[in-house]
Amino acid sequence: MFRATFLPRIVTRALPTPRFAVSGVPKVSFTPIRFHGHVHKPKVGEELNVTFILKDGTQRKYEVCAGDSLLDIAQAHNLDMEGACGGSCACSTCHVIVDPEYYDALEEPDDDENDMLDLAYGLTETSRLGCQIKMSKDIDGIRVALPAMTRNVSSSDFE
Amino acid sequence: MKWTACRDLALRIGLRHFSSGRKAVSVVGSGPSGFYTVCRLLAKSEIPLNVTLWERLPVPFGLSRYGVAPDHPEVKNCEDTFTRCAREFGKGLDTRHTFTFMGNVSVGKDIKLRDLLDTQDAVILSYGCSGDHVLGVPGETSTSGVFTSREFVSWYNGHPEFAGDNDKLKSFPWSKVRNVGIIGNGNVALDVARVLLSNRIPELWSNTDINPEALEALNTAPIENVKIIARRDFIHSKFTNKEFRELWELERYGIQGIIKPEYLKLRPADLESGDRVFKRRVEMVSEFSLPFDQRTKKNYKKHRPPESHRYWEMDYLKTPLTINSNSKGEIESLTVCRNSLTPSNRVEQHLTETLDYDVDVLVTSLGYGSSPLQEFGPLQIGFATNRVANANGHVLDTSGRIVSGLYASGWIRKGSSGVIASTMSDAFQVADAVIADLESGAPPKDRVLKTTGLDSTTWEDWEKIDEEEKRRGKLLGKPREKFLSASEMIDFIKDNR
Repeated sequence: MFRATFLPRIVTRALPTPRFAVSGVPKVSFTPIRFHGHVHKPKVGEELNVTFILKDGTQRKYEVCAGDSLLDIAQAHNLDMEGACGGSCACSTCHVIVDPEYYDALEEPDDDENDMLDLAYGLTETSRLGCQIKMSKDIDGIRVALPAMTRNVSSSDFE
Repeated sequence: MKWTACRDLALRIGLRHFSSGRKAVSVVGSGPSGFYTVCRLLAKSEIPLNVTLWERLPVPFGLSRYGVAPDHPEVKNCEDTFTRCAREFGKGLDTRHTFTFMGNVSVGKDIKLRDLLDTQDAVILSYGCSGDHVLGVPGETSTSGVFTSREFVSWYNGHPEFAGDNDKLKSFPWSKVRNVGIIGNGNVALDVARVLLSNRIPELWSNTDINPEALEALNTAPIENVKIIARRDFIHSKFTNKEFRELWELERYGIQGIIKPEYLKLRPADLESGDRVFKRRVEMVSEFSLPFDQRTKKNYKKHRPPESHRYWEMDYLKTPLTINSNSKGEIESLTVCRNSLTPSNRVEQHLTETLDYDVDVLVTSLGYGSSPLQEFGPLQIGFATNRVANANGHVLDTSGRIVSGLYASGWIRKGSSGVIASTMSDAFQVADAVIADLESGAPPKDRVLKTTGLDSTTWEDWEKIDEEEKRRGKLLGKPREKFLSASEMIDFIKDNR
């Protein structure tokens, strides 16, 4: 029976995406918090911060509550994150690219999440599913980018 | 005449699609590609639209309802998004656009594509793939016990063309089935293998919406071996890691996976050049192939398996040659030949090196095929292999020119592969292209589409069916119990209008 004695790390470490490297550009807009959907209102003094970098490069910063998932936060603020399977880790439509500075503070993705990440477009070394990232003190200030929805060009595009 | 009077008149003479300065868009097919196209149009269009979604069956959702395996209910959650979108715009909660569901109407038969093109400002074909690829080997169509994966999947999912009134599989002598061959190793093939091997385990199926008549029939089958046969090698396996892992994890029920070592002799170059997906697949095989106590990672040691009594086997580098039957026309065996791959990855058949596999059932899972509508001919719409001719979703005519106002999204555009995420992404891109054209294009056509005489179902009809299915399911501890026949659906709708 064959056995791979050495399995290299699954993805070779990529450079941080330029969107993170160019910090502060474009401008950060601080959007007032609205509460609906599955997110909770943080208690005073317990607010955590998260910044989403949208497909066009704009940044949105929110004060959120521990335990809320990035998918729920994004949907509560009408960001373009789909969550086709309703946040049950059964699709890859809530794919986010995590700022490498915060990536290692997250718990490692489990097999189910990795199986779905396999199918995500534009996968990077720090890709995760938004439904699986729950806000906590450890990742206060986390920055994530929504991947631009690009496909690999295929032959069918030219028919 | 006042607008309301016009509308009333229009309604009275059966013109349901009376326009009001809005642009009219029709989407053909209400599976994930069609519905995601609709949702995107309704969410993003700055100009007001009347969107009509046409569906051949009385009920929506296509392959989400009838293709996704019953034990993957979370994948069907996209239906929640579709429902939200249909309600918001179909019931006037959001008045920017209107949405109309027209079920039980076959475009091309009950209503002409030409009429849609004449009256609508945009038409998007999203009707997917309703046919099968075939092996083209002797005995394929004439032998009892040979099914296509579409027949089998549609059957256990209770598709009205394959279950209920139209059930041909129920009467098959399943109680004699011990060995099954499946040709092809995509996710559908793995779904079929999983259902065949695990259907007797109540905890896996009793709380799903699987067709109970199919489950009952399959429960009588003493299936011991399922062989999943592919032309190419392990590296070129078509399944995704999620489905592969689910098969391996059946070991906790005494269902064991086998891949012969000869197929796993990977060259170091294969491992190094392999992508993330491949490397994870290799890890999975190497771990699950080890005896339980020798596995190195804890995620492969979740449940100690009992003694195995059923097996699935991934078989590689074989091409089916003939299906052999007995005097009664029942399948007895499958003759295959060995293959090798050339350095350029072409399959080379060794026709003198044949093997016979004893099988009681053979399921061909070669991918779904799409077909042109009859009107494509006279309308000179191009159709290439298995998809409508298109450039980034703009449908092309037989001379390669863009057909104004006609688009395609999903499997009819790209061919039958990809998961819901890729279908969604494709639908969104096509919808965005449609919106761009609508926003910059000519004023609304404002022509009336005649829908008199159509025996169509509405969104409200579907909601009643949905409610009833859930009610029946709840009594049995399941998410729903589907209506199995279109006639039963229509009768129920008529009784409840």
